[in-house]
Amino acid sequence: MASPELEIKNLRHYYHKKKILDIPYFQVSQGECLVIIGPNGAGKSTLLRIASLLEKPAEGEIFFKGNKVTAQNELVFRRRLVYLLDRPFFFRGKVKDNLLYGLKIRGISKKEQAQRLEEISELFHLQRLLESEPQELSAGEKQRVNLARALIIKPDLILLDEPFSSLDLNLKNEIMADFQAIRKKRAQTTVLVTHNREEAFYLAERLAILMAGEIKQTGSPEEILALPRSMDIASLLGHETLVEGSVVGQQNGLLQVAAGSNFIYAFGSAEKGEMVKVVFRPEEVILARERPQTSIRNWFYGPVVEVKPLDRVVLVSLDCGFRLKAYLSKPALEELKVEPGKSFWAGVKASSLSARASPSKKLEKYSGENLERSKNDSL
Amino acid sequence: MTQGLSAGEILGIIRLTLFISGLSTLIAFLLALPAAFLLYFRHFPGRKIVISLINTGMGLPPVVVGLFVALFLWRSGPLGSLKLMYTPAAMVIAQIILAWPIIVGLSLAAFQQVNPELILQARALGASRYQLALTLAREARLGEISGIIAAFGAVISEVGAVMMVGGNIKGQTRVLTTAILQETRLGNFHLALVLALILLAISLAINLILTSWQQKGWRTWPRPSWK
Repeated sequence: MASPELEIKNLRHYYHKKKILDIPYFQVSQGECLVIIGPNGAGKSTLLRIASLLEKPAEGEIFFKGNKVTAQNELVFRRRLVYLLDRPFFFRGKVKDNLLYGLKIRGISKKEQAQRLEEISELFHLQRLLESEPQELSAGEKQRVNLARALIIKPDLILLDEPFSSLDLNLKNEIMADFQAIRKKRAQTTVLVTHNREEAFYLAERLAILMAGEIKQTGSPEEILALPRSMDIASLLGHETLVEGSVVGQQNGLLQVAAGSNFIYAFGSAEKGEMVKVVFRPEEVILARERPQTSIRNWFYGPVVEVKPLDRVVLVSLDCGFRLKAYLSKPALEELKVEPGKSFWAGVKASSLSARASPSKKLEKYSGENLERSKNDSL
Repeated sequence: MTQGLSAGEILGIIRLTLFISGLSTLIAFLLALPAAFLLYFRHFPGRKIVISLINTGMGLPPVVVGLFVALFLWRSGPLGSLKLMYTPAAMVIAQIILAWPIIVGLSLAAFQQVNPELILQARALGASRYQLALTLAREARLGEISGIIAAFGAVISEVGAVMMVGGNIKGQTRVLTTAILQETRLGNFHLALVLALILLAISLAINLILTSWQQKGWRTWPRPSWK
């Protein structure tokens, strides 16, 4: 198990005597991307501020690389991490000054400053903007500058509060991809808070569910999606199917992704051998008893493991080497005679799928760590 | 009895006026910043009362300040042994007391206008307590300079305090305002008017400098706009 970068023990926090956080144990491992997901008001931002050493918890201890954080050493540790608020706030001056802020206050030499500025502006495509004033930038550019001014510091730990939520879909994808690339390259330990499922699924190596101030479940997105511990968690995460696999080829603009014994075809830009995640919604899946002759590219076969009636539809889970979830109407369920143990074909149109780079580098490393993690994670 | 002033004497008065008001504004500014930071960052009981007192102090009558300083510096007063009464030092002290609340009050208001989330972001980027104060001061520059402008304007134009603790001694503690008062009393309206114009010109010149510092880099946004 990777050594913990940050540990929080016996955390309790109150606002106006109302308990808003109660977390017996919480840790961030070195190099991982941990995503905290929860509904609004669950205490996500407060947890993040406490983990960033900006707010002192009412009760509890924080350990940074095994050292207990105290009033005396708080600044030393605070300077080894960076927290970004949910919106970009800039100082007077140019983009360049804002990017260099963290380096200047850390007393980093002018030469090193210049070098890092060049490096980070290239990674985030900011070269043209350095002399601009922040208010002249577009929303996407602002968020790029914001992320860049955190990563330029090369912190041991970066904590992000809803970093992509204010961006439209295209921008979000673009900036998320840039961020992911840098994160992977540097093995940047990251804690990210979001209420957006898709963001969480794509970015998380490990997911923590925060509800009403408590961490209800942690694990890989695949694990939690497949086996949510409660109905609340299931409804928070939705019934998406999440598959991770490696790119084995390209065919007419579609990526061919190998996941276990299955091949998945999805849009996306990734190189051969790269790990990607594919997420699809249960309403995008059709079920059939025989594999029909259709234009649908993705067919998976497996037995029904669960039939769960929801409000208007029935959620059917299939074990196709991964947990596949589909919605059926009640008449369709009866017509197909869907029941546990029977095997069905599940089809998904390739055009409704997109594959995105996953946070882990290699499959071996990922699954190995995961196994260990699920053993050790007894939260 | 004085019958007019030589050019040399007028220059001396101008120099002393600038020296006393400039120095007292500078010292008041240096003493005001820590107070404003304290009131910004610390939440202690009675904070609101302290701020109310400071806001009241922004409009202190100069004669009253002069009276209190005189009571302290008087030969038999608590600080009488320093022999500061009727010296430029006494005038500087009185003017610091006038200028300080103005700079504290306006600086604090300027600090509180800065978005608290920006200050949180500065901490989250690793700022120490001093660096945070420095960042705050930079962000609130406009309002702080307004404080300096207001304080300097108040002290260079006041006559009550400098008269009371300086005594308007020719060649020693006579400044523009007390000289204007004297010449008017003597019926030298011409000279009084010239001195008044000089005072206004100096005020304008100093404010031009301070204002250009304050307004540096300011632009409306977006630009260009319709109007």
